[in-house]
Amino acid sequence: MNAAIIERLGAVIAGIVVAVVAFYALYKDWNSTGVENQVFKLMLLLLGIGAILALLAGLNVVGFAPPVKS
Amino acid sequence: MAVASLAPDAGEVDQLYIETRELRLQGFLFFLISDCVLFSSFIFAYLYMRNSGQGWPPPGVQRLDVAFAAWNSVVLFGSGATMHYALENFKYGHFMRYMWFLLATIVLGVMFLGGQAYEYNHLIFGEHVTWAGSGIFGASFFTLTGMHGFHVFIGVCYLTVLVLQSAAGVYTRGKYFGITAGTLYWHFVDVIWVVLFSIFYLL
Repeated sequence: MNAAIIERLGAVIAGIVVAVVAFYALYKDWNSTGVENQVFKLMLLLLGIGAILALLAGLNVVGFAPPVKS
Repeated sequence: MAVASLAPDAGEVDQLYIETRELRLQGFLFFLISDCVLFSSFIFAYLYMRNSGQGWPPPGVQRLDVAFAAWNSVVLFGSGATMHYALENFKYGHFMRYMWFLLATIVLGVMFLGGQAYEYNHLIFGEHVTWAGSGIFGASFFTLTGMHGFHVFIGVCYLTVLVLQSAAGVYTRGKYFGITAGTLYWHFVDVIWVVLFSIFYLL
Protein backbone atom coordinates (compact mmCIF):
# COMPACT_ATOMS: atom_id res chain seq x y z
CA MET A 1 0.00 0.00 0.00
CA ASN A 2 1.59 3.31 -1.00
CA ALA A 3 1.69 6.48 1.08
CA ALA A 4 -0.96 8.31 -0.96
CA ILE A 5 -3.55 5.60 -0.27
CA ILE A 6 -2.82 5.68 3.46
CA GLU A 7 -3.10 9.49 3.44
CA ARG A 8 -6.42 9.32 1.56
CA LEU A 9 -7.77 6.64 3.88
CA GLY A 10 -6.77 8.73 6.91
CA ALA A 11 -8.39 11.81 5.40
CA VAL A 12 -11.64 9.94 4.72
CA ILE A 13 -11.93 8.31 8.16
CA ALA A 14 -10.84 11.39 10.11
CA GLY A 15 -12.95 13.61 7.84
CA ILE A 16 -16.08 11.63 8.72
CA VAL A 17 -15.28 11.79 12.44
CA VAL A 18 -14.55 15.54 12.41
CA ALA A 19 -17.62 16.36 10.27
CA VAL A 20 -19.91 14.36 12.57
CA VAL A 21 -18.40 15.95 15.69
CA ALA A 22 -18.62 19.48 14.24
CA PHE A 23 -22.24 19.12 13.11
CA TYR A 24 -23.23 17.45 16.38
CA ALA A 25 -21.65 20.32 18.33
CA LEU A 26 -23.50 22.76 16.06
CA TYR A 27 -26.77 20.90 16.67
CA LYS A 28 -26.23 20.99 20.44
CA ASP A 29 -25.38 24.71 20.42
CA TRP A 30 -28.13 25.67 17.97
CA ASN A 31 -30.33 27.39 20.56
CA SER A 32 -27.52 29.17 22.39
CA THR A 33 -27.59 32.96 22.35
CA GLY A 34 -25.01 35.74 22.59
CA VAL A 35 -22.48 37.14 20.13
CA GLU A 36 -19.71 34.64 20.85
CA ASN A 37 -22.05 31.66 20.46
CA GLN A 38 -23.27 32.97 17.09
CA VAL A 39 -19.64 33.22 15.97
CA PHE A 40 -18.95 29.71 17.30
CA LYS A 41 -21.91 28.34 15.35
CA LEU A 42 -20.67 29.94 12.13
CA MET A 43 -17.17 28.60 12.74
CA LEU A 44 -18.48 25.08 13.49
CA LEU A 45 -20.52 25.12 10.28
CA LEU A 46 -17.45 26.11 8.24
CA LEU A 47 -15.36 23.54 10.11
CA GLY A 48 -17.87 20.83 9.17
CA ILE A 49 -17.84 21.96 5.55
CA GLY A 50 -14.02 21.89 5.58
CA ALA A 51 -14.04 18.34 6.94
CA ILE A 52 -16.46 17.28 4.18
CA LEU A 53 -14.20 18.89 1.55
CA ALA A 54 -11.19 17.02 2.94
CA LEU A 55 -13.25 13.82 2.97
CA LEU A 56 -14.23 14.33 -0.69
CA ALA A 57 -10.61 15.08 -1.56
CA GLY A 58 -9.63 11.85 0.16
CA LEU A 59 -12.19 10.00 -1.95
CA ASN A 60 -10.73 11.65 -5.07
CA VAL A 61 -14.05 13.32 -5.87
CA VAL A 62 -12.46 16.78 -5.81
CA GLY A 63 -8.85 17.96 -6.26
CA PHE A 64 -5.99 16.63 -8.28
CA ALA A 65 -4.31 13.24 -7.98
CA PRO A 66 -1.13 12.60 -9.97
CA PRO A 67 -1.11 9.39 -12.01
CA VAL A 68 0.10 6.43 -9.96
CA LYS A 69 3.46 5.09 -11.17
CA SER A 70 3.43 1.33 -11.57
CA MET B 1 2.07 18.49 37.89
CA ALA B 2 -0.24 19.90 40.52
CA VAL B 3 -3.41 21.23 38.95
CA ALA B 4 -5.57 23.83 40.62
CA SER B 5 -9.27 23.01 40.77
CA LEU B 6 -11.96 25.25 39.36
CA ALA B 7 -13.54 27.79 41.62
CA PRO B 8 -17.21 26.85 41.17
CA ASP B 9 -19.11 29.92 42.26
CA ALA B 10 -19.64 33.04 40.26
CA GLY B 11 -19.67 35.09 43.46
CA GLU B 12 -15.91 35.52 43.30
CA VAL B 13 -16.06 37.25 39.92
CA ASP B 14 -14.95 40.84 40.10
CA GLN B 15 -17.32 43.53 38.95
CA LEU B 16 -14.82 45.08 36.52
CA TYR B 17 -14.58 41.78 34.63
CA ILE B 18 -18.36 41.57 34.26
CA GLU B 19 -18.58 45.14 33.04
CA THR B 20 -15.75 44.84 30.52
CA ARG B 21 -16.32 41.32 29.21
CA GLU B 22 -18.47 42.42 26.27
CA LEU B 23 -15.94 45.10 25.35
CA ARG B 24 -13.14 42.54 25.41
CA LEU B 25 -15.18 40.24 23.20
CA GLN B 26 -15.93 43.02 20.73
CA GLY B 27 -12.27 44.05 20.67
CA PHE B 28 -11.19 40.48 19.99
CA LEU B 29 -13.79 40.07 17.24
CA PHE B 30 -12.54 43.29 15.62
CA PHE B 31 -9.03 41.84 15.73
CA LEU B 32 -10.26 38.68 14.00
CA ILE B 33 -12.11 40.75 11.38
CA SER B 34 -8.93 42.76 10.69
CA ASP B 35 -7.00 39.51 10.32
CA CYS B 36 -9.72 38.26 7.99
CA VAL B 37 -9.28 41.40 5.84
CA LEU B 38 -5.52 40.75 5.70
CA PHE B 39 -6.03 37.19 4.45
CA SER B 40 -8.83 38.25 2.10
CA SER B 41 -6.63 40.81 0.35
CA PHE B 42 -3.99 38.17 -0.39
CA ILE B 43 -6.59 35.56 -1.38
CA PHE B 44 -8.39 37.89 -3.80
CA ALA B 45 -5.06 39.06 -5.27
CA TYR B 46 -4.17 35.39 -5.89
CA LEU B 47 -7.57 34.61 -7.44
CA TYR B 48 -7.41 37.72 -9.64
CA MET B 49 -3.94 36.87 -10.94
CA ARG B 50 -4.88 33.24 -11.38
CA ASN B 51 -7.89 34.10 -13.52
CA SER B 52 -6.19 36.80 -15.58
CA GLY B 53 -3.35 34.60 -16.85
CA GLN B 54 -3.04 32.17 -19.73
CA GLY B 55 -4.23 28.98 -18.11
CA TRP B 56 -3.47 27.53 -14.70
CA PRO B 57 -1.12 26.32 -13.30
CA PRO B 58 1.63 28.32 -15.03
CA PRO B 59 4.04 26.43 -17.31
CA GLY B 60 6.64 24.43 -15.42
CA VAL B 61 4.52 24.07 -12.30
CA GLN B 62 2.49 20.94 -11.58
CA ARG B 63 -0.84 20.98 -9.78
CA LEU B 64 -0.52 20.24 -6.07
CA ASP B 65 -1.21 16.70 -4.95
CA VAL B 66 -4.23 16.69 -2.69
CA ALA B 67 -3.76 13.42 -0.75
CA PHE B 68 -1.33 14.63 1.91
CA ALA B 69 -2.97 18.06 2.09
CA ALA B 70 -6.37 16.43 2.76
CA TRP B 71 -4.90 14.42 5.63
CA ASN B 72 -3.10 17.46 7.06
CA SER B 73 -6.28 19.53 6.74
CA VAL B 74 -8.29 16.98 8.70
CA VAL B 75 -5.64 17.12 11.43
CA LEU B 76 -6.20 20.88 11.73
CA PHE B 77 -10.00 20.59 11.53
CA GLY B 78 -9.85 17.90 14.22
CA SER B 79 -7.96 20.34 16.44
CA GLY B 80 -10.86 22.77 15.99
CA ALA B 81 -13.26 20.13 17.30
CA THR B 82 -11.04 19.33 20.31
CA MET B 83 -10.71 23.04 21.12
CA HIS B 84 -14.47 23.44 21.01
CA TYR B 85 -14.91 20.57 23.46
CA ALA B 86 -12.15 21.97 25.67
CA LEU B 87 -14.17 25.16 26.11
CA GLU B 88 -17.42 23.23 26.62
CA ASN B 89 -15.83 21.06 29.32
CA PHE B 90 -14.43 24.12 31.06
CA LYS B 91 -17.86 25.77 31.04
CA TYR B 92 -19.37 22.69 32.69
CA GLY B 93 -16.57 22.39 35.25
CA HIS B 94 -14.85 19.25 33.93
CA PHE B 95 -11.35 20.58 34.45
CA MET B 96 -9.29 17.48 33.66
CA ARG B 97 -11.25 16.80 30.48
CA TYR B 98 -10.71 20.44 29.51
CA MET B 99 -6.97 20.03 30.02
CA TRP B 100 -6.82 16.85 27.95
CA PHE B 101 -8.78 18.41 25.08
CA LEU B 102 -6.56 21.49 25.23
CA LEU B 103 -3.41 19.35 25.13
CA ALA B 104 -4.87 17.34 22.23
CA THR B 105 -5.46 20.61 20.38
CA ILE B 106 -1.83 21.63 20.89
CA VAL B 107 -0.58 18.23 19.70
CA LEU B 108 -2.76 18.38 16.58
CA GLY B 109 -1.61 21.96 15.91
CA VAL B 110 2.03 20.88 16.12
CA MET B 111 1.25 17.89 13.86
CA PHE B 112 -0.24 20.28 11.28
CA LEU B 113 2.85 22.48 11.40
CA GLY B 114 5.04 19.39 10.98
CA GLY B 115 2.94 18.35 7.99
CA GLN B 116 3.30 21.77 6.46
CA ALA B 117 7.07 21.66 6.94
CA TYR B 118 7.11 18.23 5.26
CA GLU B 119 5.10 19.56 2.32
CA TYR B 120 7.35 22.63 1.94
CA ASN B 121 10.35 20.31 1.91
CA HIS B 122 8.73 18.14 -0.76
CA LEU B 123 7.76 21.13 -2.90
CA ILE B 124 11.05 23.02 -2.63
CA PHE B 125 13.49 20.12 -2.95
CA GLY B 126 11.36 17.56 -4.77
CA GLU B 127 9.41 19.65 -7.28
CA HIS B 128 11.53 22.81 -7.23
CA VAL B 129 8.61 25.11 -6.47
CA THR B 130 10.00 28.14 -4.63
CA TRP B 131 8.72 31.43 -3.33
CA ALA B 132 10.73 33.56 -5.76
CA GLY B 133 11.33 31.17 -8.65
CA SER B 134 7.86 29.87 -9.50
CA GLY B 135 6.06 33.03 -10.47
CA ILE B 136 2.69 34.03 -9.10
CA PHE B 137 1.87 30.52 -7.99
CA GLY B 138 4.95 30.04 -5.79
CA ALA B 139 4.76 33.55 -4.34
CA SER B 140 1.05 33.26 -3.53
CA PHE B 141 1.26 29.72 -2.17
CA PHE B 142 4.20 30.30 0.15
CA THR B 143 2.99 33.74 1.28
CA LEU B 144 -0.53 32.61 2.15
CA THR B 145 0.27 29.21 3.62
CA GLY B 146 3.31 30.66 5.41
CA MET B 147 1.19 33.44 6.90
CA HIS B 148 -1.38 30.86 7.97
CA GLY B 149 1.32 28.62 9.42
CA PHE B 150 2.62 31.57 11.42
CA HIS B 151 -0.90 32.09 12.79
CA VAL B 152 -1.07 28.42 13.77
CA PHE B 153 2.31 28.74 15.50
CA ILE B 154 1.08 31.79 17.44
CA GLY B 155 -2.07 29.81 18.29
CA VAL B 156 -0.03 26.90 19.63
CA CYS B 157 1.97 29.32 21.80
CA TYR B 158 -1.28 30.91 23.03
CA LEU B 159 -2.78 27.53 23.91
CA THR B 160 0.42 26.52 25.72
CA VAL B 161 0.11 29.68 27.83
CA LEU B 162 -3.54 28.74 28.47
CA VAL B 163 -2.45 25.33 29.76
CA LEU B 164 0.04 26.91 32.14
CA GLN B 165 -2.41 29.57 33.30
CA SER B 166 -5.18 27.01 33.78
CA ALA B 167 -2.86 24.77 35.80
CA ALA B 168 -2.03 27.77 37.97
CA GLY B 169 -5.74 28.41 38.57
CA VAL B 170 -5.96 31.73 36.72
CA TYR B 171 -9.36 30.91 35.18
CA THR B 172 -12.55 30.20 37.06
CA ARG B 173 -16.02 29.16 35.88
CA GLY B 174 -17.09 32.78 36.07
CA LYS B 175 -13.98 34.33 34.56
CA TYR B 176 -12.50 32.63 31.52
CA PHE B 177 -12.40 35.11 28.67
CA GLY B 178 -8.85 34.03 27.78
CA ILE B 179 -10.11 30.54 26.97
CA THR B 180 -13.02 31.91 24.93
CA ALA B 181 -10.62 34.13 22.97
CA GLY B 182 -8.28 31.18 22.40
CA THR B 183 -11.16 29.09 21.08
CA LEU B 184 -12.31 31.89 18.76
CA TYR B 185 -8.78 32.38 17.45
CA TRP B 186 -8.27 28.66 16.86
CA HIS B 187 -11.58 28.34 15.01
CA PHE B 188 -10.60 31.35 12.91
CA VAL B 189 -7.30 29.69 11.96
CA ASP B 190 -9.26 26.54 10.98
CA VAL B 191 -11.73 28.46 8.85
CA ILE B 192 -8.94 30.31 7.01
CA TRP B 193 -7.43 26.93 6.18
CA VAL B 194 -10.77 25.75 4.71
CA VAL B 195 -10.45 28.62 2.21
CA LEU B 196 -6.73 28.10 1.51
CA PHE B 197 -7.17 24.35 1.09
CA SER B 198 -10.01 24.97 -1.37
CA ILE B 199 -8.24 27.55 -3.52
CA PHE B 200 -4.83 25.88 -3.69
CA TYR B 201 -5.72 22.19 -3.80
CA LEU B 202 -9.30 21.82 -4.96
CA LEU B 203 -9.91 24.56 -7.55
